Amino acid sequence: MTTPGISVLDGKYMVTMDLFPQQSKEFNQVHPFYAFLQEGRLCTTRCKDCGAEPFPPRVLCPDCYSTNMEWVDWPTTGTVIDFTEEVVGVPLGFGKAPLVHALVDLQGKKTFFVRIINCAAGELKPGDQVKLAVFDVDSVPQEVGRDVVEMQRVFYAFEPVK
Amino acid sequence: MDRNVCIIGGGMSQWGVRDGSQRDFFQEAARALYDDVPQLNPKDIDGLLVASAYTERTSYQTHLAPLVAEYVGIKPRSICARVELLCASGSSAIILAFGLIKSGQADIVMVAGGEKLYTPQKWEVFYSELASVDHDWDGPQGLGLPPPVFAMVAKQHMKQYGTKKEHLATISVKNRRNSAKNPKAQFQTPVTMEEVMAGRMIVAPLTLYDCCPITDGAAAVVLASEEKARDLTDKPLVYLRGTAQASLNNMSANMPSWTTWEALKIAASEAYRKAKVEPKDVNVAMTHDCFTISEIIEMEDLGFCKKGEGGPFVAEGQSDFGGRVPTNTDGGLLGCGHPFGGTGIRQGIEVMRQLRGDAVQQVPDATVGLTHNLSGFIAAHTVLIYGREVA
Ligand SMILES: [Zn+2]
Repeated sequence: MTTPGISVLDGKYMVTMDLFPQQSKEFNQVHPFYAFLQEGRLCTTRCKDCGAEPFPPRVLCPDCYSTNMEWVDWPTTGTVIDFTEEVVGVPLGFGKAPLVHALVDLQGKKTFFVRIINCAAGELKPGDQVKLAVFDVDSVPQEVGRDVVEMQRVFYAFEPVK
Repeated sequence: MDRNVCIIGGGMSQWGVRDGSQRDFFQEAARALYDDVPQLNPKDIDGLLVASAYTERTSYQTHLAPLVAEYVGIKPRSICARVELLCASGSSAIILAFGLIKSGQADIVMVAGGEKLYTPQKWEVFYSELASVDHDWDGPQGLGLPPPVFAMVAKQHMKQYGTKKEHLATISVKNRRNSAKNPKAQFQTPVTMEEVMAGRMIVAPLTLYDCCPITDGAAAVVLASEEKARDLTDKPLVYLRGTAQASLNNMSANMPSWTTWEALKIAASEAYRKAKVEPKDVNVAMTHDCFTISEIIEMEDLGFCKKGEGGPFVAEGQSDFGGRVPTNTDGGLLGCGHPFGGTGIRQGIEVMRQLRGDAVQQVPDATVGLTHNLSGFIAAHTVLIYGREVA
């Protein structure tokens, strides 16, 4: 890998240019979220003291300020409320136009505004069912002692239920 | 100690796709500011707040305020720091300068904002916009750039209230007509209704002229205690009357509503209360027209018209000269462009000129002016109210 114009960075990983979050336990205390994603589960944290289920998952309850949090499964299917199709200006890393997004009612848990993949232009319509879609993203070469370990990563979008 | 605070002068660099660096633009803005306040000796400026959101990413420069101080030839001794709230950085810095002067911690403060956003390869600023939203959750959904977000806002507003594409287009035509008369604006040509309606599709229903551009440039103002202001300018004094900033959520999944901006309603009502005015008292407004639909919702949630009636309100010309509240009289973001940290300062300059009576396109007898920014994933709202009289 070369980095034009900055020869000293050849072969180096730059977290400041990374599209995706750090998912290893050394860099993220909600790392189990990504491990669950790898199992096809969409989870968040539930407060054991007041029952709140904030999303994104976190270490501090925003309602009662407890740090007594546990993991809970959320639905992996939802209903499209409405959608958008970006035909010009799709950002680097998100494939060819159109980039499709939808407002998805996740069975009353939350209304997500998420990317819809495996979906052709003009295919989606309000009322459609969509389901969690987990995909691999670039691994991170992380220093562990004197070694460099490739930390595998995933991320999620939704896709039409066909 | 609670003092009255005035905005006494302002200036801008040329805005647009510019040759030069961030530090070049801050110097150009300072020069224009010094020209606007000839009685001010810049050495008497005791504080500096610098507004810039992307300085670390597109100029690889942190610790920006002392750098700007050195380049614009001032030696701060009350405050010298940078303020960041993305698109509202400039307004946030004005609020902080207001508070410092009001409380006696500073007397004369320069507030400068700007960015060099275009890089030798243009993809970089767009890529860096992943930092504008929640990087770990909304960024990886492809939501670093805002058009899909505002397209969804527009779609829902159309569905809920019957807002039409023609209503959106009214905003583009008005703001581009205004920027064509603003020599510092990015866009120096007006556009017709036909051109706007035929604009290239970006994200339906938003087309090219619904979206503000990426912009290089800077702007600067000086705020001073009323006592100092009387010595520094012969122009009519313009006072900061009241300000507020509100945030209810950051990540998209926590938006209370897509079509009623609850945080804007909170910021507006707090600012009106502190400024001791009501929406009907506002004579001129600079609102955050990052997209045309934004200006329509802002008319509603700032209380200038009823909820859902923003489309017909702008179509009737109520946000234009001769209407209820002339808005974005200098061209707004759609016409002037949007160097994030510079925008709130630019708005402050135009409202100051409107209230002093020396605007390029003057609203007759304007005595109360308002500026508004939204920032991030419509995640924070900032409202400032200025007046010819103290609150
Ligand atoms: Zn709790």
